[in-house]
Amino acid sequence: MEKNMLCTKSHEFLEDNGNKTYTVGLTDYAVEQLGDIVYLELPDVGSTFTKGETFATVESVKAASEIYMPISGKIVEINESAVDSPEVLNEDCFEKGWLVKIEATGDASEQSDLLEYSKYKEDLE
Amino acid sequence: MVKETFIHDKHVQSGAKMVDFAGWDMPVQYSSIIDEHKTVRENVGLFDVSHMGELFVSGNDAEAFLNKIVPQDISRLDYEKAVYCQLTNKKGGLTDDLIIYKTGILEYLIICNASRVDEDLNYMVNNTRGFDVEIENCSHKYSLFAVQGPKADTLMRKMGLNTHQDSFTIKPAVIANVKLLISRTGYTGEDGYELLVENKYSEYLWDEILKQGREFGIKPVGLGARDTLRLEAGLHLYGNDLNEDTTPIEAGLSWSVPKDKTADYNGKDVIMNQIQNGVPKKLIGLKMLDKSIARHEYEVYFKGEKVGYITSGAPSPILSANIALAYVKNDKEICTGAVVQVMIREKLHDAEVVKRPFVEKRNKVRL
Repeated sequence: MEKNMLCTKSHEFLEDNGNKTYTVGLTDYAVEQLGDIVYLELPDVGSTFTKGETFATVESVKAASEIYMPISGKIVEINESAVDSPEVLNEDCFEKGWLVKIEATGDASEQSDLLEYSKYKEDLE
Repeated sequence: MVKETFIHDKHVQSGAKMVDFAGWDMPVQYSSIIDEHKTVRENVGLFDVSHMGELFVSGNDAEAFLNKIVPQDISRLDYEKAVYCQLTNKKGGLTDDLIIYKTGILEYLIICNASRVDEDLNYMVNNTRGFDVEIENCSHKYSLFAVQGPKADTLMRKMGLNTHQDSFTIKPAVIANVKLLISRTGYTGEDGYELLVENKYSEYLWDEILKQGREFGIKPVGLGARDTLRLEAGLHLYGNDLNEDTTPIEAGLSWSVPKDKTADYNGKDVIMNQIQNGVPKKLIGLKMLDKSIARHEYEVYFKGEKVGYITSGAPSPILSANIALAYVKNDKEICTGAVVQVMIREKLHDAEVVKRPFVEKRNKVRL
């Protein structure tokens, strides 16, 4: 699952699905830190965001947190079942708990500050 | 310098998530806030609330002094009884909310919010003129544990509590061979006890309660669940729902303000005037009508007009709905059953005005 995955310092992951499309979600560290996730707000399909822009909100019991775009892109699909059952993020953030699928609109250089998953985990220690 | 309770290291070792709360490094959760919350509603939970302040007030004028600084009538407080009060300022606003226990003929124990210990002491010292009274801050000498939930009484009986204890009473007791003060109070809406113990016994007592409570499904509970539990029970949190600019009447605490108290107290004219002539704002309970969550300081609208703001908001694990407290202008149309809107990330979300407590309190002692 970690094969084509890059992570941001703000704890989003970006998984390359080929053909300039990517899956975006929250890392295991992020969901662990948030605790019980109870609410998820995702953008409309078709909306576009630039790298670093807030595109979604996740809420734990205690607080609301913003989620940022790892790269610029257009939303092509959202995870409706995660909106209905946000606890799926705690259970399986990488597979069932993905957030959105995007089509990259920027160039590859936008990924230069993203970290390989192993490096990302290393930096957390 | 961040403060730590006497059993801080135990929390860290058990893997609790720690947060800064009022200058203390405190456990916010051990496993899951929702799970800890349900443990207290269904079985029994153990809280370390040693960050709270313990102030002893004693002397010939202790009663008269306390009567000057709280709206409650302390002359009616019997030995070993407890009463929920507020410290009022001259404008009728609240310096803190607290519980006063009568622990001796001329002695009272005040348990107050951790965030307000210094303000409370200042306020009290500034009001001592003319009173023969001594105030001692004993917060650093004691640990305070709360044992809360429907199985709390059975557990305390098993651990040595040998008499029936009424709600809102405090007594010396021996629990697990440790001499301490035990009161039947709490901040969860459940039946339960609070144990005031000398620091040197706190580590032993904490372990012993968890050990002996195992058969009742006990779990340590952090500040996260403490907050959702008190919110469901409609209990106020100082700093969120109460502050120097809110009166007990506006906060819906009229039940703790006797109308026939003869002694004068700070803010009495403002408070009595509000009882007679009404309040400019009032605290209401809200239940969100969609899945969104209202949080502290979000704005509240009614018929297109901004009428107030949220003071506390969270999911209710028991109701499976999101609930909140809000101050709104005192409009009689904003009543139980009315629908208002909460501004959440630039969108309005419907919420229904509901009665408090959101979840029925079960801390009435059943005989």
